[in-house]
Amino acid sequence: MRITRRRFLGGAAAAAVGAGGIYELVDRLGSAPARPVVEPAGMPPEQHLIDLSTVHSEGVEVVVPPLHSEIVTATLDVHDLRAAQRDLEDVLRTLDARHPLTAAGLGVTVAWGMPYFERLVPAQAKAHLPYDRRANRPALLPTRRFPSDPSETLLERNDVAVLMRSDRREHIDAARTAIFDLPFFTVTSIRRGFAGGGFDGGRSLPKKMAMAAGVPGADLIPDGAELFLGFTSTQKAGLGPGKIANHETLGYVDLRSGYFHGGTHMHLSHIAEDLEAWYLNFDFDERLLTAFRPGMTGVHQGRQTIPQGPAQFSSESQLERQFHQTGRFGHSASIQATSRLLQDTTGADGTLYPKGTAIPQRADFNTLDNPFAFSSDPKRDGMSKEASAGVHFVVFNPSGDDFERNRLAMDGVLPGGKKLAVPPRNRAQGFNSVLTTTHRQNFLVPPRRNRSFPLVEL
Amino acid sequence: MRAALVACLVALALGGIAQGAAGARKASCPGAWAKGWQVLANKVQAPVYCPTWMPNPLDAKIGGDYQDAYGIGKDRSYLVSFLEHGDLGSGDVHVNFRGFPGRTVIPRCPAPVGHGTVPCFSDPGGHVRANRIRATVYRVNQGEDQWHILLAWRYKGTLYTVSQHVINPYDSATKVLQNMERVLKGLVLVKPAT
Repeated sequence: MRITRRRFLGGAAAAAVGAGGIYELVDRLGSAPARPVVEPAGMPPEQHLIDLSTVHSEGVEVVVPPLHSEIVTATLDVHDLRAAQRDLEDVLRTLDARHPLTAAGLGVTVAWGMPYFERLVPAQAKAHLPYDRRANRPALLPTRRFPSDPSETLLERNDVAVLMRSDRREHIDAARTAIFDLPFFTVTSIRRGFAGGGFDGGRSLPKKMAMAAGVPGADLIPDGAELFLGFTSTQKAGLGPGKIANHETLGYVDLRSGYFHGGTHMHLSHIAEDLEAWYLNFDFDERLLTAFRPGMTGVHQGRQTIPQGPAQFSSESQLERQFHQTGRFGHSASIQATSRLLQDTTGADGTLYPKGTAIPQRADFNTLDNPFAFSSDPKRDGMSKEASAGVHFVVFNPSGDDFERNRLAMDGVLPGGKKLAVPPRNRAQGFNSVLTTTHRQNFLVPPRRNRSFPLVEL
Repeated sequence: MRAALVACLVALALGGIAQGAAGARKASCPGAWAKGWQVLANKVQAPVYCPTWMPNPLDAKIGGDYQDAYGIGKDRSYLVSFLEHGDLGSGDVHVNFRGFPGRTVIPRCPAPVGHGTVPCFSDPGGHVRANRIRATVYRVNQGEDQWHILLAWRYKGTLYTVSQHVINPYDSATKVLQNMERVLKGLVLVKPAT
């Protein structure tokens, strides 16, 4: 019986973790996935899209995520905004020219927080920021806590966040140096991580990394797991396709002047994962119904990749019915009630998106940061040198409200305000009992053409 | 599940919980502990397993400094647990011994969510064999065995278990399983006095 729970870091690698050295192991423990050779081509208008290959895992098509991901947040001290815009764009264009927009190359996504728009371009923001007509609210919302968030969850106010993704760590290192050597940035945090299933057999990178760091519960992670929690999460059919997360695609957002056409909303959070609680208190069947939905049958013990296509879509009424029958709801099922298209929809780009298609485009990755690899304010951020299992959660939605709908549904709050009566962080409430969100912030991701200091030229 | 724990097990074999044969070794229940285990065997009218090794700092003296729970049900099932509770941060060492005389099925426990029941021991993660006992490793357990790694085996129509809490100082399932293997190797069968 659980009497007390004291966090204790074992493992000889622990000492190395504090210096961020653990991530050097990614290159030793994981091998870069074989990627098709892609010639550099014209960059898409969207910053948030990156070419990723797919493989089949247990009969399901799965997107192979980049091995390394890193997010750097910063505040700004700028005197000449136009010059800063030119300087940043020059650096970004140099990176674009140097690396193809693939996992083997480099993906860079520059996202801007509300403090930037409020402080540096308030008048332009008032005129040009997209507006969510479905929610009757701005597309960029103030960052908020959700019912299952602890009161300690920090709501951040960074001016900018840069997401860098690559199979090659040196590409990310070079990009970080090039961008953040610009004199107007003050880096507030560096957040690093990794992903990569053992899709070709053998131990996955998250398992190897967790074992090397000695985080509690590492030895319980299934060998081939793409992520610490043991299930594959990059099923192609479970991720928003193409331009679906663009502001304009589904018609939720009024683009006003059109300045942000091709842009999107990004939510960034850090979530600590209690792996021991997950693996020592939930058996496989319970992990399955917690991660997906109650009532799943016929899934063989140990399966990691579960189909997540339109056919597996759970409607709000199905979610409620399952809840009333079982007293619990699954993570995927609860979110699907808001994250999937309820009907066939033709997007603004002319693409037909069938009913059940996923809208959010996730770019989350596991981490051993606790909670970050670097913080400019270690006390505020609760920095620890001990490695800790977690996820840097990155997701692109058409608007902040669209993200909020999904996140509220994860807590059992359905569109229209109906609530599935489960106390926050209760075991019946999907993953929530083993997850703790430490930091959150909303951002806007402008289209590539306006990615550098958006609106300052107006 | 590609069980992580399986990798560190020395002995693997086929099938589920198998019949265990007990006590072929000449070892005996340590003198200071023997009386309590003999009394237990007499009360439940079935053989019980006395350990000859316990994780530091515990001993297995029933009625001793480390004894925590001691209970016998109307169905003769028993639970004997030993606990060192480290108030000053040294951690907890908590080991449970159970027996279900006359029963070999895994008991049911209240479900953590909803109204039903679930197996008290689940998520089997391989087998370990020692001391002529072949035990199944269970990683998700309920009640007093929650957050424990548990070994279960059957002997002459009775289900037996031993488990230990995964917590500092034995802070990984792998370390706890190593302890449980060592406990298993040293078990001595104590038969009820006629």
